[in-house]
Amino acid sequence: MGDHRIMSCTVRVASPLRSYTHNAASVSATGSTLHEVLADLERQFPGIRFRMIDEQERIRQHIRLYVNTTMAADLSQAVAPGDTVHLICALSGG
Amino acid sequence: MTSFIFADPWLCHTVHRMSLEPAELARYSRHLSLREVGVSGQEKLKAARVLVIGAGGLGSPALLYLAAAGIGTLGIVDFDTVDISNLQRQVLFTTADIGVSKAQAARDKLLALNPHLHIELHAEALTAANALNILAGYNVIVDGTDRFTTRYLVNDACVLLHKPLVSAAIHRFEGQAFTYVPKRSPCYRCLFPEPPPEGAVPNCAEAGVLGVLPGVMGTLQATEVIKLITGMGEPLLGRLLTYDALDLRFAELKFVARSDCAVCGTQPSITALHDSPESCDTGSLQQISATELHALLQQPVTHQLIDVREPHEYAAGHIKGARNIPLGTLTAAVPAPIDTSKPMVFICRGGGRSTQACAWAVSQGAQQVLNLQGGTLAWQQAIEPDMNVI
Repeated sequence: MGDHRIMSCTVRVASPLRSYTHNAASVSATGSTLHEVLADLERQFPGIRFRMIDEQERIRQHIRLYVNTTMAADLSQAVAPGDTVHLICALSGG
Repeated sequence: MTSFIFADPWLCHTVHRMSLEPAELARYSRHLSLREVGVSGQEKLKAARVLVIGAGGLGSPALLYLAAAGIGTLGIVDFDTVDISNLQRQVLFTTADIGVSKAQAARDKLLALNPHLHIELHAEALTAANALNILAGYNVIVDGTDRFTTRYLVNDACVLLHKPLVSAAIHRFEGQAFTYVPKRSPCYRCLFPEPPPEGAVPNCAEAGVLGVLPGVMGTLQATEVIKLITGMGEPLLGRLLTYDALDLRFAELKFVARSDCAVCGTQPSITALHDSPESCDTGSLQQISATELHALLQQPVTHQLIDVREPHEYAAGHIKGARNIPLGTLTAAVPAPIDTSKPMVFICRGGGRSTQACAWAVSQGAQQVLNLQGGTLAWQQAIEPDMNVI
């Protein structure tokens, strides 16, 4: 439990994905890479990972993942304790 | 009235500047007092031609503020008519406008606000066939559309025409905005190369939207336009601004031009506009029409009918025998609240959320999954005209 707290990051959840997080805009997750953070999110909120990552383990084309203000090219992006991970989804409403 | 030419630091083309009449000097006096705008900036605004695509939630505040600010020529693209459900956020319109062309109603309101304007109406859908012709006549484009196909069409047209674009989008309580200036910043496809699968991101009609949210985002768009035309400030280039109304939190996320961008990259594959379907990868999703479903339901019941709308939508009217499991409940429940071994048909209002439910069900191992094409709206039209669909 102590380790989880140490490695915890804040995840800001895009509006279209909040149906998975019980409408929470911000959740906590653990992991030292995006891959691990998404695995933890999937454990907490089943189904959410598939909305962002396709069958080839690529970030979907309408989804962008940021660690703080840096856009991640892939899931190997490092995540440090206290970082904020932004799950960004293209929106169409006008 | 005199006019002369200036080269703007942000716009990639020359624009005429038009002198102000006495009545305009009084009207814009608070702008004229700003050193950053002044007479020179106000004359640029008067000479500018700005096209707003979509007179909806975003377009309403954007148009109102651009008109108030003295943009000389405003173009409006909208083929729709005012519906009562628009009035919760589309502040250009009143109850008396219900059923009236949005473009025409908008023109009347804007001219009442500022009679010095020239308004040009394009009461038609923007398509690959007409987009370049319509956009070519304007200095700055404002995207307030409500569907991905048009959003990508507008982006591609702006890149091909070298037109600045001020874009925003909304969903429930969240907004996004960015500005594109040719040769100076990345475009929308640099950020999101392809639109999402159909139904993956419901529009406002399906997901709902806080009425005041587009007010914030559309006003930001108007601000960007004024900055681009007057040359003041720093436009939102290469930065995606996100706004969460519930937490009242803004975030700014940088993105860069992609050399492999399909439209603005070094070897673009998009060199002309083409209409594309809303969906690019619905995969093997099986659709069933309302008529086919009606026929299917005359047979001994084998399919599970699952209506994934919200409870209040379901309560208003639903297909007999359908079970209500809202999409959020469905996809979050563990274990899955459906029998994946039995065939199933997913239903929503227009077919978007049910498409998402289908994809989820397939990911859960379901083999026989059907999507009611067009949702309860199609059912109402083809089978049950008296059904109440909200």
